[in-house]
Amino acid sequence: MEIINQDFENILHTEKEEKKKKLIPKKMMLLGGLVLIFLLILILLEMSSVLKQNRVVPRLLPTPTPSPIPTLVEKITNQSFYATDSAVLKIENELKKIEEKLDNTDLKESSLNPPLLDWKVEF
Amino acid sequence: MIKKLAPALFLLFVFPSFVFAQDFDFNRANSDYLYNLSLYREAHQEYVSAKEAYLKYKTLTSKNTALEKTLRMTQLRDEVVRTYLIALKMKLGETPGIFSDDKNVFNLKLDNEADWYLKHKEELSSAATLGDLANLAKVSSTRYSSRSEILIYQTLYKILLGKEFTLKGEIEIQIEAIREKLKEIKEKGDKDISLPERWLLETENRLLRFEEKVSASQAIMASIEKNTYRESVYRKAQLLLEEGHQYLKEANRYLKEIIREIKTADGNY
Repeated sequence: MEIINQDFENILHTEKEEKKKKLIPKKMMLLGGLVLIFLLILILLEMSSVLKQNRVVPRLLPTPTPSPIPTLVEKITNQSFYATDSAVLKIENELKKIEEKLDNTDLKESSLNPPLLDWKVEF
Repeated sequence: MIKKLAPALFLLFVFPSFVFAQDFDFNRANSDYLYNLSLYREAHQEYVSAKEAYLKYKTLTSKNTALEKTLRMTQLRDEVVRTYLIALKMKLGETPGIFSDDKNVFNLKLDNEADWYLKHKEELSSAATLGDLANLAKVSSTRYSSRSEILIYQTLYKILLGKEFTLKGEIEIQIEAIREKLKEIKEKGDKDISLPERWLLETENRLLRFEEKVSASQAIMASIEKNTYRESVYRKAQLLLEEGHQYLKEANRYLKEIIREIKTADGNY
């Protein structure tokens, strides 16, 4: 024989609580699911916009970073008597100046090119 | 104070051209030319539009507008050539390595040519019809192709030659200085100079090669008056000068080697 609980007030109360307990996780799960879907949509939208941007914006090509050209410092290990001679040093200095001028001389003078003009005036 | 400034003020009022001449250099002349060139470009655009409108509608208004715009464009075209010639003259004047006789001859030619365009610009105003204006404009076109263009390229070439001869002159001065030094070392007998002497000969050979290139370049430039493709002739001549420039570079490098050799004790490499 099954013993029936006679405490009806408490029975009702506990049933309500059980129902509540069953309902809360369902609602929570539903809400959580919705939030997840919303987040997924947001992520997808963000990804698609990034992909679109990548299509439009040209890729940045790698550019070589200018590396300093090592200048060869000529070292004369065994110097002669003339290594410190003022006349020799003066000539050396002058030659360096000429070298700079030779490197910087503009033999095209493109800024002085004749102007392009329309010489045909016809009606 | 006033007494001190009096001579300067006197010069300013009595000889304003003197004061102006002091300031007028290539940069100023080039700015004038570039300014006129920009005005010409604007005027040319307006001329093209006015011409199209006139040819399309053939109305009196469009004809008058076309006349006005064509006049402005052709006058500015003359002004561009004139200011360009003056800029060239200033550049030539500021370029070292050109004989003063040559400079004088070119200055005279450039001045004459610039004056011609100034007069022609004024003449253009007298044109009453589009036909007259077109005919007058053709006169400057003929002048440019028959005289001005040749003079322009000859002047540009002279500027390049001046630069190259200046550099060659500077190298020759150093060759002489090194020769003197080698002679001194030889007399003292404290260093073997046979190798520097050989380098010196090679340097002189490079200068000879440079001269050959310059001669070939000048021969090409001499034909510019007969040739219709003047720009191409000038470019060929300029290219040969560039080749000659490489020989100057080599000559300078050899001289640097000689100095290195002099500074190094015998038997140490």
